[in-house]
Amino acid sequence: MRLSGKTAVITGAARGLGRACAVRFAAEGADLLLMDIAQDVAGVPYPLGSRGQLAHTAALCEKAGGAVVAKVADVRDAADCQGVIDAALDRFGAVDVLVNNAGIAAPSGKVTHDITAAEWALMLDTDLSGAWRMMKAAAPAMVGQRAGSVINVSSTAGLVGYRHFAGYVTAKHGLIGLTKAAALDYAPLGVRVNALCPGSVRDDPVVEGRMLSEIARSLDVPVEEHEEIFVRDQPTNDLIEPADIAAAALWLASDDSRRVTGSVLTVDGGFTAR
Amino acid sequence: MTQPGRTPHHPRQKEPVNAMSEEPDPRAAAPGARTPDVRTAREWAGLCHSLTVRVPGPVDPGRLDRNLAAGARRRPALRPLRLWHTAVAAPSGTAAAERRARAEAARPVRPDMFPVRAVLVHCSDGAADLVLVAARISVPRPALDRLAALLLDGAADAWDDAPDIPACAPFPPAPEHDPVPWGLGLPGRAGTTGTVPLPLPERAGLDVRHLVGALALALARYAAGDEGADAGVTVGRVESAALRGYDDIRAYTVRTDDEPSTADFLAQFDTAPATAPRVPAAGLIVGTAQPGRSHRPCLAPVFPLTLHAERQADGTLRGTCWFDEGTVAPQLAERFCAHVAHLAAQLAESPGARPVSHLELLTAAEHGSVLRAGSSAPVRTSGGHLVGLFEERVRSGPDAPALGDGTTQLTYRQLDDAAEEVAAGLRAKGVAPGSRVGVCLERDAGLVVTLLGVLKSGCAYVPMDVHYPQERLRYITEQAQLPVVVASAGQFPALAGVAVVAPGELRELGAAADAPGEPPHLDPGQAAYVIYTSGSTGRPKGVVVPHANVVALVDATADDFGLGPHDTWTLFHSSAFDFSVWEIWGCLLSGGRLVVVPYWTTRDTEEFHELLADERVTVLSQTPSAFSQLIRADRESARDLALRLVVFGGEPLDVRMLAPWFARHSPADCRLVNMFGITETTVHTTAHTVTPEDVVAGSRSVGRALPGWSLSVRDRHGRVLPPGPVGEIYVGGAGVASHYLGQPDLTAERFRTDPVTGQRVYRSGDKGRLRPDGSLEHLGRLDSQVKIRGHRVELDEIRAVLLKHPRVSAVALAIRQETPGDPASSRLDAYAVGSGTAQEAAPMDAADVRDILAHARRFLPDYMVPATLTPVAALPLTVNGKLDPSRLPAPLPLTPRAPATVEPSGDLTDDIIRVWSRVLNTEVRLGDNFFELGGNSLLVVRLLAELRASGLPRVSSRQFYHHSTAGQFVQLLRTLIPA
Repeated sequence: MRLSGKTAVITGAARGLGRACAVRFAAEGADLLLMDIAQDVAGVPYPLGSRGQLAHTAALCEKAGGAVVAKVADVRDAADCQGVIDAALDRFGAVDVLVNNAGIAAPSGKVTHDITAAEWALMLDTDLSGAWRMMKAAAPAMVGQRAGSVINVSSTAGLVGYRHFAGYVTAKHGLIGLTKAAALDYAPLGVRVNALCPGSVRDDPVVEGRMLSEIARSLDVPVEEHEEIFVRDQPTNDLIEPADIAAAALWLASDDSRRVTGSVLTVDGGFTAR
Repeated sequence: MTQPGRTPHHPRQKEPVNAMSEEPDPRAAAPGARTPDVRTAREWAGLCHSLTVRVPGPVDPGRLDRNLAAGARRRPALRPLRLWHTAVAAPSGTAAAERRARAEAARPVRPDMFPVRAVLVHCSDGAADLVLVAARISVPRPALDRLAALLLDGAADAWDDAPDIPACAPFPPAPEHDPVPWGLGLPGRAGTTGTVPLPLPERAGLDVRHLVGALALALARYAAGDEGADAGVTVGRVESAALRGYDDIRAYTVRTDDEPSTADFLAQFDTAPATAPRVPAAGLIVGTAQPGRSHRPCLAPVFPLTLHAERQADGTLRGTCWFDEGTVAPQLAERFCAHVAHLAAQLAESPGARPVSHLELLTAAEHGSVLRAGSSAPVRTSGGHLVGLFEERVRSGPDAPALGDGTTQLTYRQLDDAAEEVAAGLRAKGVAPGSRVGVCLERDAGLVVTLLGVLKSGCAYVPMDVHYPQERLRYITEQAQLPVVVASAGQFPALAGVAVVAPGELRELGAAADAPGEPPHLDPGQAAYVIYTSGSTGRPKGVVVPHANVVALVDATADDFGLGPHDTWTLFHSSAFDFSVWEIWGCLLSGGRLVVVPYWTTRDTEEFHELLADERVTVLSQTPSAFSQLIRADRESARDLALRLVVFGGEPLDVRMLAPWFARHSPADCRLVNMFGITETTVHTTAHTVTPEDVVAGSRSVGRALPGWSLSVRDRHGRVLPPGPVGEIYVGGAGVASHYLGQPDLTAERFRTDPVTGQRVYRSGDKGRLRPDGSLEHLGRLDSQVKIRGHRVELDEIRAVLLKHPRVSAVALAIRQETPGDPASSRLDAYAVGSGTAQEAAPMDAADVRDILAHARRFLPDYMVPATLTPVAALPLTVNGKLDPSRLPAPLPLTPRAPATVEPSGDLTDDIIRVWSRVLNTEVRLGDNFFELGGNSLLVVRLLAELRASGLPRVSSRQFYHHSTAGQFVQLLRTLIPA
C-alpha cells in the first residue's frame, strides 16, 4: 500500500478523474477528504457533479478501505477552501496530499475576442485561482510537517494551444506556471508541487466522466462520434483511461516520487510529442 | 526574461534577487500565520491518548449526534467538538473492523485544533466503536472516560458536569531520552511506531513490581557487557491515569552489580519512584483494563521502549510494547519483551533469598538458538597435519609452480626436496621432534623452505622478524627455550646455549646426512608454530597453534573462496605476523603459487603494484592501512591486475575507504572479504564479503563465524548476550589456540572451558555485538590494545617499557590520526612525568627525551616506538581518577636535533624540507632523521608520492631507507636529477 497512513484532499471528487484518483488512493491506504461543489454553476453550460455523485465516490472509497470525509465546497471561495483543509486537519491530523482536480471545460468554443469578461473570469477563477486558494490553505500545514505533495491537474491544454479554448488553455498554462513557482517556494521545506497533464481521457461511465463530451460539444463535434474523432489524433490510436491518470497521480502522491518537484507529467498517449 | 541564476555563464551566481528574497530564510520561519511549530506527528502522538469503546449494535448514530448537540448547547466550550462518522465494510470483530478502529485510535490530534476528536466507526453488522483521541494535557484519562459516557448516554442535563476542555496548550518539546545502544534501529524508520506483545505469563501472583524489576534487570543485563554499566540503570514507571506531560514521568535508578537478593531487589520498587532527570530508555505505564473499552495511554512511545501493562479483572497482567523503529529494530524489541517477561516470571517465582544474578535473561531454548546463530558447522574436514596435506599436493602436482621470490622459482617437488634437506639438517643438528625452532630470516623463498623444513622435522617454528630489536629477539629465544635459531650469518645475537645456523648450512648438513630415517610422527594436535604478540605486562606472549587449526582454516575457506592451483598468492607479511600463516598455508595447501614479496617491495607501493601486475597475482591479503595506499597506486597505474580475491585482516576495516576501489573494480571480478581474527584463534574468525552497498552504508559487520568456528558475545560474568547488546567476543571451535607458551596463569585467564557449552573458548578482549542474522559487529577493544598500521599493540607493553627508564615515573599514550579516518596517518604520542617529586625533580630535558626513546627502541619494534615524547608535570585526570586524554597537550616536536651537516643551498633543498615538514607535521632541518621525527613506512610512501608528483625523479623506498636524514635525501636526489 503506497499511501498507507497518508491523508489526501481531492477537489472535484464527485466524478471523473477526481473519483478515479480517490478510489485508487483509498485502495492504496489513504484516508480522504473529498471535496466537490456538488451543484451546477451559473455560466457553466453543462451539469456539474452532484451531492449524490460525491456520496457515491465516498462510498466507493470506504469500500476500498479508506476513512472518508466528504465536503461540499467551492474552490472559488477562500473560506470554503480553508474550511476543507481545517476539516481534514481536525479529522485526520494532517494533509499529506492535495489533488487540485476541480475544473470546468466550458464556457468555451469561442474565438478569443468573442469570450465575455464574465466567461473569462469564471474560467480563470475556477481552473487557475481555485488551485491557488487550496494551496494557500493547505501549504502551511504541509510546511509544518516538512512534507506534502500537491498535484495540480492541468491538461495538454497547459502545454499546447487549442482553437476556441483560449480561457481554458490560459488557465491550464497558468496552472503549470503556478506549479513551477510554488515548487521552488516549497522545495527547501519538503513540500512538492507537480503538474499532471492528461490528454484525451475517455468518459468512463464507471466514474461518470463527461469532460471529453463537453469539450466535443464546445467544438461542435457530434457527441455520438466524439470518441472516434479524438482517437484519430492519438498516436497510440486509443484514448487515455481515468485509471491511467489515477496511476500517475498515485506516483506523484507517493514517496516513490520524493525527488520530483516542479515537474510536468504528461499522460496523453503521445499527443503533444508531435 | 533572463534569470541570471539560470544562465550557463554564471553557474555559481546566486538565485536572482527579487522582492521575495528579502524575506528571511524560509527554513527559519515558515510562511503562513497558522503554521504550527515544526514538529513531527510522532511528537504530537507521544502527547496524545485514546479511548475506544465498543458499542453493541444496533447503534443509532443519530442518538450520539443528538447527545452531542444537547451537550454543546449546555456547554458552549464543547461546540467545536465534532462527532465524525466513518463506515467500515466489515462486521465488528473482524480484522478489517479492528484495523480501522486501531488506526483511528492511533491518529493524534493537532496542537492547533480542538484537543479532542470523536469518531464513530460503524461496522456492517450495526455495531460500532466510539474512538476518542485527545491531548493528555488538556483532556486526561478521567475526562476522556466522562466524555465517552456523555456521548453514549448523556441526557441534556448530564452535560452540566462535563469536563472543562481547555484549548490545546502548545505541545511541549519531547525531552531528551537515554540512548538504547543495543537497539539497532534504522534511522530511516524514525517516527514509525512499532508494536510487539509483552508475553507475560498469565499468573495471578505476578504484579507490577515484578514487571518493573524485570524491566530494570533486563536493561542491566543488556548493558552488562559494556563499559559504564556500573552506573546503574534507570527505568520509568508511571500510572496511566496520572500521565499527562513528560513532567509526570517517574523513575527508579537501581544497581544490580552488588548482586542483591531477589527480595532486596524488589523492595526497591515498593517506594515511590523519583522524578527522572531524563526520560529513561525504557519505562512501564500501568493501567487497569475495563471490559468493552481499551485505552492507549500514548499514541507514540513516551520512552524509547514503552511497556504498557494493564491489570486484568482476574488479577493477571497483560502488556504491549511500543517503540520507535528508528531507535529499536522490531526483532530486538520482540526479544527484549520476551526477556522482560521471562525475568518477571522468575522474579515472581523466586524465593526471596536467591540473588538476582541467578536469574536467567534467556530461556534455555533461546540460549541454544543464540549460540547456534553464532556458529557455523564445518563444511569439510580434511584431518591431518600441514606436512601430510602439503605432501599430498606434491604428489598430485609435483611440477606445478609452488614458490618464487624473483630470483628463485621452485615447483612443489623442488620445494618438498629442499624442505626435506632442512629437516634432515635439523636432525643432524640434534634437534628432536617436538622441539621449537626459531626462524629469523629475510623474506625470500628460503624462509618458506625453512618453515616447511621445521615442520617436516616434527618441530614447531617460532618466527621472529629480522627487524626486531636485539632485546626482543633475546627475550623470545629465551622464553621459548629455543635450542636452534635459523638465521643468516651475523643477523642474530649470540646467546649462550643457542645454536644459530644459516639456512644454507642447514641444507648442506641435511644433504650430507645419511639416508633419511623414519619421518617423525606428526600429530594434528601438536604445535605448528608459536607466534609472539604484544603483551600487556611489558613482554610479548607466545601463542601456540596446532597443525589442526591451520588445516581447519584452509578447509573453512577453500570452497567458499574457490582456492586452487590456478591461484597466485603473495607472501606480503612478516612471518612473525600471523597473517603470513594464512598466506603461506592457504596457498600451499590449495596448490597455488606463492610469490614472496621482498621486504623493500612491501614498503614501496608502486613497486608492489608492479609486482602484482607482473606476477598476475590473484589472491591478495592486506591490512586496510596498506590497501589504502595500494588503492592510490592503482589509480595512478595503467597496469591491469588479475586480482580476484582480496582478504582484509589485521585491523578494523572502515569500508568507506573502499569507495575509490569499487569505482574502478567490479565486485564481480574481484571479491573483497573482510576477515576479523585474532592470533589466538588462528588468523581469521569471521568472513564478510564487502559490497558497494556496505560502503555506502558504512557497515561495521565482519560477517559470520567461519565454518568450524563459533562466536558468542558475553557480559562481564560470561553470560551469553542476545543479539543487540555489546559485550566481549568469545571464540570457540576449530581455531582456538592451545595456550600461551610458559604462561599458565594467562592461559587459564583467556582460554577457558565454557561452562555454558563445555567447549574450549578464547576470551578475546574484543568488543562486539551479534546482529539478529548471526553476523558480528566488531567494536574495538575492551582494554588498551590498539592496532597501529595492522600491528597489534598493547599500550601497556609500551608503558611498561618506558616506565623501566629511571627518569620516568608515569606515562600516558595517545593514538592520533593526523588525517581522521586515514589509518596510514596513525601516530603514537607518549607523555612522561619525570621521576622524583614535583619539587625536587629536575625538569626533563631534550637529552632525557632522546635517551628515553632510544631506550624504547632497544626493546620495542619500530611500530611500537612513540613518534614523540612530551614531558608533562602530571597526567591530566578525570574526576573519576582516569586519564583524561582530551586534556593532554599537543605533542612537542622532538628538538633540538642534530646539527645540520649540509647547509641549506638552493631551491631543491627548500622544497624538500617543506614537503618533509608537511608530511611529518613538524619543522624539519637538514640533519633530522625522518624516522626519529615520527615518520613511518606509510608516511614514506606518501612523501615519495608527493615529491614525485612535484616532478622530482622516482626514489624507491629502499633508497629512502638508506638516505633517511633530510640532508642525505637531498644529496640522493641531486645524484638522480639529470644534469
